[in-house]
Amino acid sequence: MKKLLSIFLTMCTLLALLTGCGASKTAETSTKDSKDSKNKTYKVAMISDTTISDGGWGAACYNAMVTAAKEKGFETQYTDGLKTADFAQSIRSYADLGYDLIFAPGNQYSDAVKEVAKDYPDVHFALLNGTIETKNIVSLLPDAKQIGQMAGALAGLMSKTNNIGFIGGMELDTTKDKLANYEAAAKAVNPNIQVASAYAGSFSDTAKGMEIANSMITSKNVDVMFGDASAVDSGARQALASHANAFDIGQPGDLVKDDKTGVIIGSVVTDNATMIKLCMDDVINGKFGNKTIYGNIENGGVSAGTFSDKVPEDIKTKYLEIVDKIKAGTFIQK
Amino acid sequence: MGDILNAGFIQELLLSTVRMATPILIVSLAELYSERAGLVNIGLDGIMALGALVGFLVGYTTGNPYMGILAGAVAGVFVNMIYAFCVINLCAEQIVYGMAINIFAPAVASFIYKIYFGVNSSLIQGPLMEALPIPLLSSIPILGSVLFNHTPIVYFTYLMVPVTAIFLNRTKAGLNFKAVGEFPKAAESLGIHVIRQKYIACIICGALAGIGGAYLTTCYINTYSDGVVSGRGFIALSAVIFGRWMPGGVLIAALLFGFADALQLRMQVASSDTPYQLLAMIPYLCTLFALAFFGIKKAGPKANGKPYLREER
Repeated sequence: MKKLLSIFLTMCTLLALLTGCGASKTAETSTKDSKDSKNKTYKVAMISDTTISDGGWGAACYNAMVTAAKEKGFETQYTDGLKTADFAQSIRSYADLGYDLIFAPGNQYSDAVKEVAKDYPDVHFALLNGTIETKNIVSLLPDAKQIGQMAGALAGLMSKTNNIGFIGGMELDTTKDKLANYEAAAKAVNPNIQVASAYAGSFSDTAKGMEIANSMITSKNVDVMFGDASAVDSGARQALASHANAFDIGQPGDLVKDDKTGVIIGSVVTDNATMIKLCMDDVINGKFGNKTIYGNIENGGVSAGTFSDKVPEDIKTKYLEIVDKIKAGTFIQK
Repeated sequence: MGDILNAGFIQELLLSTVRMATPILIVSLAELYSERAGLVNIGLDGIMALGALVGFLVGYTTGNPYMGILAGAVAGVFVNMIYAFCVINLCAEQIVYGMAINIFAPAVASFIYKIYFGVNSSLIQGPLMEALPIPLLSSIPILGSVLFNHTPIVYFTYLMVPVTAIFLNRTKAGLNFKAVGEFPKAAESLGIHVIRQKYIACIICGALAGIGGAYLTTCYINTYSDGVVSGRGFIALSAVIFGRWMPGGVLIAALLFGFADALQLRMQVASSDTPYQLLAMIPYLCTLFALAFFGIKKAGPKANGKPYLREER
């Protein structure tokens, strides 16, 4: 038993040593980089409270960053599974390591980014769903209203029972916008629609998503749902799959093609990669700061994903017409 | 409000209660065994997380959810052995090592998942255990589908309650086991192998908590995501105190929590205008009140949480 313990401890020390080496190496290259800025390899880092393999928000943001970085020649790094208290510390260590761009994928990082950004004027920060514009913070804002309206229109067109549902993770501003517009759009295409909504209070409690969907289906006769709660939505889909003629609308990726349950009828796709690319261009050209990059149907930041075969042709056409109206801003006047 | 208070609604509510209470109940029983032998294990959340991952992984690769449950139990025992060695042999502080497990095990689970599955835009789906309705009993109206139309793990969990009660109160082995948690020195002087009993407690605790985790990813939902445990281990911990270290009490505590949670979700759906934070508090408020009313008198094992130094006088 003692031998085992000693082996375990040796491994731990080795591991610590290795990570230590890794960190110092990156620091070294970064100082070298800043000396000759011509052949500089830019570096981008992402922090996240959920893991990047959550099959939802975290994964979508990470993939967007990697896609954008590949095209623009950035090196990528990430830290995930962070607690709220560690946000600022993690951002600060990336800033110390000489990262050029730090990507914070969510409104919840606003305060941490603001706090760190003022100490590192040379580091650039991209805040997704943010509302801050300073010299070195740029907000990326996919239009939550358009996302909500697109999902609501599709749900309204597809519902046979006139009852649709919405699951939120936390009561974030973007989630509230999505819900309000989801409801308004659904009522615009079908005035008899009733919307049931609930919050899971979590982005990872898949079991709760299943329970919420179940209770909506059984007590409110809901047949189309839309969710803004990452992994919780997967649980909801499982409950929907166990009922006939119950559907889900996916986001933020194009989820229909990977969907084995067959409940996802369409997706509202948010293309974060495009917005991050714009950020990277600004970093390279030295024009970063003091703006918000919007993502909407107009510039391809938000788009309608593929449909599953459960959506009839006439609804598809009608829906795409509505998407055009949302793009033109003539669908719902708010 | 009237239209939702019908038989169908109540049946669904009760069904949901049973489903939601099961993982809490099995993990509370795990903790009950541990604390009865004098070991406070607050690492339940971590053990569950690892059980959930290993259960899912084995279920996914073999296509058999029963293998997943078994593997979850084994993984739970393994990780709990770290805790066992440190607190039993090295007499280390139990809370500290429980917390260490809570940090260590979910991180390992997350790491293995990322290595094995990579980063996907949607969650990987594994097999789900089929419900096994009990013949005759499951055709009783309302109660039948609420109580007798579940996966075998649910039956196993509820069966564990009377089994544990009989074991702890009616068998010699059980009384010996309890003695270790009450007064280990006296137990040792009467020829009970205290260290062995404590290890047995840790094995049972690890296995049950591992099953509780694996239940989430093989019986409840068919995916694994980090944070799937969502603090159920800590709720189980409070269920043991609320249940006053008795299997029956623990059952009531788990069911009360499950019921309150199922009810609050339905209330959210029924009235979207009510702020959800208010309703989401209900299960925790229930626990708080119940603890305040029933938990006044200390009822736990006397030597609970104390390290056992064999050589000490």
